[in-house]
Amino acid sequence: MAELSDTLFYVALGVYVLAMVAYFFAMAFTRVTVDGVLSSTAAGTRAGRVGTVLALFGLTTHLGSSVLRGLETGRIPLGNMFEYSSVIALLAVAGGLFVVQARWGHVHLMGFVLAGATLMMGSGWLLFVPAGPLVPALESYWFNIHVTAMVGSAAIFMLAFLATALYLARDTAERRVAARSGQRFGAGTVGAASVDVGDGRDAVTADSVVASPLELRRALSPGWFVALPAILLGLYGSQGGARGVVGAAAVGGALGGWAWYAMPHLPSAGELDTLAYRITAFAMPIYTFGVICGAIWAEEAWGRYWGWDPKETGAFFTWVLYAAYLHARATYGWRGRRAAWVGITAYVALLVTYFVVNLVVVGLHSYAT
Amino acid sequence: MIPGPWETVVIAWRRLQRMSTALILLFSLAIASVVATFIPQEPLVPETVAQWRTGAAGPGSDVARVLDGAGMFDVFASWWFATLTALLLISLTGCLLPRYRAFIRTVRRQPVAGRNLTRLSNTTTLTTHADPNAALTAVDAVLARRRLRRRRLAAEETASGHAQIAAEGGHWREGGNLLFHTAFYVLLIGVAVAQLFGFTGQINVVEGTTFTDTRIVYGNIRAGRWFGIDDHRGFQVRLDDFDVTYHGSGVPDDFISTVTILDEGEVAREGSTIRVNHPLRYDGMKLFQLRFGMAPRVIVRAGDTVLFDDSVMLGDNGGVWTGTAKVKTSGPDQIALDLALLPDFGLDARGRPISRSPSADNPVLFADLWVGDLGLERPIDASRFIRDGEPVAGVSLVPGGTSDPLVGNLTVEFAELPMWSGFQVSHAPGRWTMLVGSTLLLIGLVSSLYSYRRRVWAEAWRDDDGTTRVVIAGVALQRKVAFAEAFAALADEARADLTTSDARPARETTMSDAHHG
Repeated sequence: MAELSDTLFYVALGVYVLAMVAYFFAMAFTRVTVDGVLSSTAAGTRAGRVGTVLALFGLTTHLGSSVLRGLETGRIPLGNMFEYSSVIALLAVAGGLFVVQARWGHVHLMGFVLAGATLMMGSGWLLFVPAGPLVPALESYWFNIHVTAMVGSAAIFMLAFLATALYLARDTAERRVAARSGQRFGAGTVGAASVDVGDGRDAVTADSVVASPLELRRALSPGWFVALPAILLGLYGSQGGARGVVGAAAVGGALGGWAWYAMPHLPSAGELDTLAYRITAFAMPIYTFGVICGAIWAEEAWGRYWGWDPKETGAFFTWVLYAAYLHARATYGWRGRRAAWVGITAYVALLVTYFVVNLVVVGLHSYAT
Repeated sequence: MIPGPWETVVIAWRRLQRMSTALILLFSLAIASVVATFIPQEPLVPETVAQWRTGAAGPGSDVARVLDGAGMFDVFASWWFATLTALLLISLTGCLLPRYRAFIRTVRRQPVAGRNLTRLSNTTTLTTHADPNAALTAVDAVLARRRLRRRRLAAEETASGHAQIAAEGGHWREGGNLLFHTAFYVLLIGVAVAQLFGFTGQINVVEGTTFTDTRIVYGNIRAGRWFGIDDHRGFQVRLDDFDVTYHGSGVPDDFISTVTILDEGEVAREGSTIRVNHPLRYDGMKLFQLRFGMAPRVIVRAGDTVLFDDSVMLGDNGGVWTGTAKVKTSGPDQIALDLALLPDFGLDARGRPISRSPSADNPVLFADLWVGDLGLERPIDASRFIRDGEPVAGVSLVPGGTSDPLVGNLTVEFAELPMWSGFQVSHAPGRWTMLVGSTLLLIGLVSSLYSYRRRVWAEAWRDDDGTTRVVIAGVALQRKVAFAEAFAALADEARADLTTSDARPARETTMSDAHHG
């Protein structure tokens, strides 16, 4: 059963990559008209459908993998970083498919969700641990509630991060296009989507800003879009030697280039910003609940609810940064890009808490292997 | 012009009240905790901090001195972290006080009359045969079901000259927000109570022995200022039994201590178990299972004289349990034993002794005997006695076995193999305060994020053609998309209700420009 679970994991990973490619084709075969309306060719529609079917198939396989691991070990499959990463990816894909794509209709974001999920799965795969039992400290129902909430919120925060990152890119593009067409901006509100209409109020006139959708692509340098993710992921891959660097950089560059190409297809900056906020606002109570459950469990297991263990500290600073994001969204002069950068920082903090604190800093929560 | 002292205070207070100040303080708090994640913290890893200080590890002793000066080795107890927290709390108070006042005022105020209803972002016009008063009553019932606060206005009170219902809801947004922020004070009280009145200590006990809850028996003590020596309960805990089971991989599956608690000579609890995640509560104290180990009972005799008879608590050293016994600490010929225990003795492929499993299936005790000037009279850890040259003798023993007479007439006996169990004993008041605080925090967070301020108005009047026109309109201050959906549902319900009170269906025109939200 453990072997089947592992096989299903690899199948899901492969199918996600294929689905990602299909979504990319669906986008490439979709034209964006002058007023920002998307119209797919027959091939594009078909590719989109193939992508959706593949993503659903991958999701089912992935779910099977996690369930089998749970049955094999007789516990919820969240006992080590491999299982943890896998379930984060699983929930992110599910959220992407059923909420972002089906409910909100943002088909062209789904490919990015799959990219995030496969990266998460890939890094989990590097930390592969065969199915095994838990140490006694983890055998508690509070543990189940705690990790479920943590994994759930981590997956949702991943979606929020994608929306935030794409918002920053799209917003830059919209601003540049608007600057070229000589329009003035309102003071510090969401994105270039709000243009100063002259009487001191910000009017949301996204359509008027976008003179030509292709302008949005031309406004940004593809070089940076390829180079930056390539460097970042390359650094991450450096643990795997020269091949790791090249492979990871190639993946990063391809994803960055795709983001650049997708610029006209993305929802407007204003929409992306709202999306990011809504998703973060949804994740935040779950995350808070998870941290509280963690404290209760720590009280049961170790006799103190909070001890500034590195992991607890990391969870705290992630929480503080997300709280700062929510506050920034409500603060004049911080809304828009500044708030978005806070959101990006918060997600980086989450990743650091997850990866670096688990693998590098030794504490009570270090049970990666 | 340089501001005077009073002006300075006012300026500082105003600045602290600003949201952007609060944001910067939050960032500083985040940065502080990043620092605490990557620089070893003394309360958690004192050994590592000691190594950093001597320069044996970390960036060197000079850097460590600078870090020490800035309190970086104990960030959460440092003066600047306390200052930061205090500033944040002052800022919070400054933000909250005016908002409490405004909130109470808003909650008390009656819903305001609406004007130009058809020009609001969500409006619906219905036509019905019911008379205007009855139609408004029907709409009122719909609004009541949504638990909106309503106010009925007579025709003279409105701008349009029609009778109106003004309704309002969503005070939970600001209420939740205030609750969320107020919860921090509750949490702070909980932390303070725990700090001042709490106690935590650790103790290791061998099977069959008893300890009494007094200050002197514990190690790693953290006692609050107002938890005095007299506050210990003085009950006795006897470790009757300790059991550990292992998974095949050698990871402990479960370890259970069975204890008896004696209070003033009487048995208060019998056969109580303490396991990881299942602490034992007694008289305001909580006993947690922390660690465990093997404690072989070793008897050293000189001829027929018993020099030493005790269980020695050994620590796990990668599958081998090791420890030291101080046998004779006075005089020039001091005696000490270095002990190593293999729980499941076996030989590996090259004939070297190994432990085949972690459970004590075939225990063998190796004892190195040291005799001479070992420096045992010094107040240092037993394991750090002076080892010059080689031990005078080395023996290996199975349980019940006694060695042949060694130097002089010394014999070493491995009498039996009990276990020892390590407990943490805590008194943690303020836990319930913390739980209440965090629950309030969560409730406040959810309602501040999901609830939204909204106003709905309904007007009804008799039109020239003899039918009654009902206009329902609404605006939301937040979550406009969600409100547009809720408003459509409300309009549907009102139309259905007006239809049942009237034979003919009410006609409807709905307008919504909610997507501009």
